[in-house]
Amino acid sequence: MRATKITALTAATLFSISLAACGSDDSDSGSSTPAAAPTMTSAAPMESSAAPAMTMENFGAGCAAVPTDPSNKGSFQAMAQEPVATAASGNPLLSTLVSAVKQAGLVDSLNSADGITVFAPTNDAFNKIPAADLKKVLADKKTLTDILTYHVVPGKLTPADLSGTHKTLEGKDLSVMGSGEDFKVDGSASVICGNVQTANANVYIIDSVLMPKS
Amino acid sequence: MRDLLRDAAAGVLAAGLGIAVAELFAATTRPDAAPLIAVGGAIIDATPTPVKEFAVRELGTNDKPVLLGSVGLVLALFAAALGVLGRRRRILVPIGTVVLGAAGATAALTRPTASAFSPVPSLLAAAIAGATLWWLLRTVDQPTGNRRAFLRGVVLVGGAAVLAEAGAQLLTRTVGRVRTDLALPAPSSPAKPVPTGIAPGFTTPSADFYRVDTALTVPRVDPDTWTLRIHGMVGTELKLSLDDLLRRPLIERDITLNCVSNEVGGPYIGTARWLGVPLAPLLREAGLRPEADQIVARSVEGMTIGTPVATALDGRDTMLAVAMNGEPLRPEHGFPVRMLTPGLYGYAGACKWVTELELTTFAKFDAYWVERGWARPGTVKTASRIDKPRPFARPAAGPVTVAGVAWAQRRGITKVEISVDGGTWQAAELLPVPSTDTWVQWRWTWNATAGPHSLSVRATDSTGQVQTEARATPFPSGATGRHTITVTVE
Repeated sequence: MRATKITALTAATLFSISLAACGSDDSDSGSSTPAAAPTMTSAAPMESSAAPAMTMENFGAGCAAVPTDPSNKGSFQAMAQEPVATAASGNPLLSTLVSAVKQAGLVDSLNSADGITVFAPTNDAFNKIPAADLKKVLADKKTLTDILTYHVVPGKLTPADLSGTHKTLEGKDLSVMGSGEDFKVDGSASVICGNVQTANANVYIIDSVLMPKS
Repeated sequence: MRDLLRDAAAGVLAAGLGIAVAELFAATTRPDAAPLIAVGGAIIDATPTPVKEFAVRELGTNDKPVLLGSVGLVLALFAAALGVLGRRRRILVPIGTVVLGAAGATAALTRPTASAFSPVPSLLAAAIAGATLWWLLRTVDQPTGNRRAFLRGVVLVGGAAVLAEAGAQLLTRTVGRVRTDLALPAPSSPAKPVPTGIAPGFTTPSADFYRVDTALTVPRVDPDTWTLRIHGMVGTELKLSLDDLLRRPLIERDITLNCVSNEVGGPYIGTARWLGVPLAPLLREAGLRPEADQIVARSVEGMTIGTPVATALDGRDTMLAVAMNGEPLRPEHGFPVRMLTPGLYGYAGACKWVTELELTTFAKFDAYWVERGWARPGTVKTASRIDKPRPFARPAAGPVTVAGVAWAQRRGITKVEISVDGGTWQAAELLPVPSTDTWVQWRWTWNATAGPHSLSVRATDSTGQVQTEARATPFPSGATGRHTITVTVE
């Protein structure tokens, strides 16, 4: 009889504890919230994308030309908060690229793409193209679109993934050679500032415009 | 008789250990996946609203403990029976525990917040309970010294269960006990059932809901000490505790909320089912003075959001929300209470972690974002977005479904049109909506031909206003322009 009593008592106690725990209907597993860990610049209500810590560092001599004041729209900090086309439009080094992107009607596509890598030629890179040729390209939407989409690779490539052959959004492959902080794209364009974070893209700023091989 | 009691106790004890270990396991990951919680939640989901209302009326905030107590009692009876019958026909032990585990796992999987992990705690509970019962019953059946061995088993199992349960308690309490203990009363005015014909994605899961705020660390607010002060240009200052607030009639509504800093086609928009206290009666109770035209909501961390008084009194469902998609607000979405104003961007009407409402005028006070140049009153602009296909997609030639959302909260969307390569605008099909306060899902079948194409979308709201083509940046009053994406048809 004693055994029964103890058993019953244990069971009863146990169950009352179990039930007390059940006031809980929490489903908040804090860490399950997606990428969007918000911080905020004082300039605008915006969301920062939580880029993996390992890939945060940008590199290259060209990075020195990027504004350092975080409140400047062209700074790395500000660019990290914005989708890529908006981010680039804040950067004075990329103004020719940005107007080309607008011309081709690719702003929304780039901004709302799910995670891409953009090889972004500087204004100087565009200046290497003879003025007449550049004007012609900017006027031809099909050619312009092909050239610009050739600068975009699906997925966010980290510096570690960068070397190799990548299928571009234009359809043809581009090749990246190099390692560490020294990369060349298609054998000609050097990465002068790499691994710049934006909300939806990793950007590698390059010193020449790439041309899809015909 | 004695044997019967002993076998029944073995069953209950084994089930208790299974449940306790499962709770400990769930507490480390997903407390809502614990078996009893999952079953209780599934029962609440399946309960018709009138019954829920009855339960809340009769039981008050005790409705959840009573429900879970009942679930526990049924489980205990089942486990006791399993102990008794399993002793005679041992095969019943695995069969019974599998049935219990399957019931818990099914309940967990049918919850709105379910993930692949959800059934695991229930299955774990069943496995442990089954093995424990098998072992206890074998002890009973041993020819010699069975009473002593059984007692040892009881102490061992009981001790393990108490330890596991204590661990689970400790974990859930530190992880978020205060939030989990908040009992949500049933709404006195439930949301309309989601209309049939709605496509997946109409409701945004809480975990995927955008979050834009200035808080570097998410404020952790103790609901027991939280108060809401309504003061300023009022006859009588009001001070309410969370219990005071929850005792008032609650409304439940599907409402789309979006952020002013969203780019054209951007992701900072979502629709949730919100539960909250309508603001208008509270303001009237406080005796707001007619010259007050601005509500300044203050959060616990000092954020100020300025909302026009008119938007709380014009009949829209402006509320102090306490729950989102059937659970207390997540900490990052403003637990315990946030404001919600249909038709206004978040920066103008949706203060999170709100603790103070000051009635004042726009002339007298600039809220945080207005001080930084953002426009007031923050009325949502008519807009639309293409979600399918994705930018740069390569669909095959032939029929391609183009789909997305359009929104103009309070006004409602009357038309959505698509243009391919700048050609004529063609009307998309609009899916049904519960009210003008939510986005509208739309779809259109495109007879796609090979080559690169651009797709643009525009919406028309009930005032006849067609979404403007003119591009504007989010600053200072919200982005405009028609979402245009490029795809290559192969």
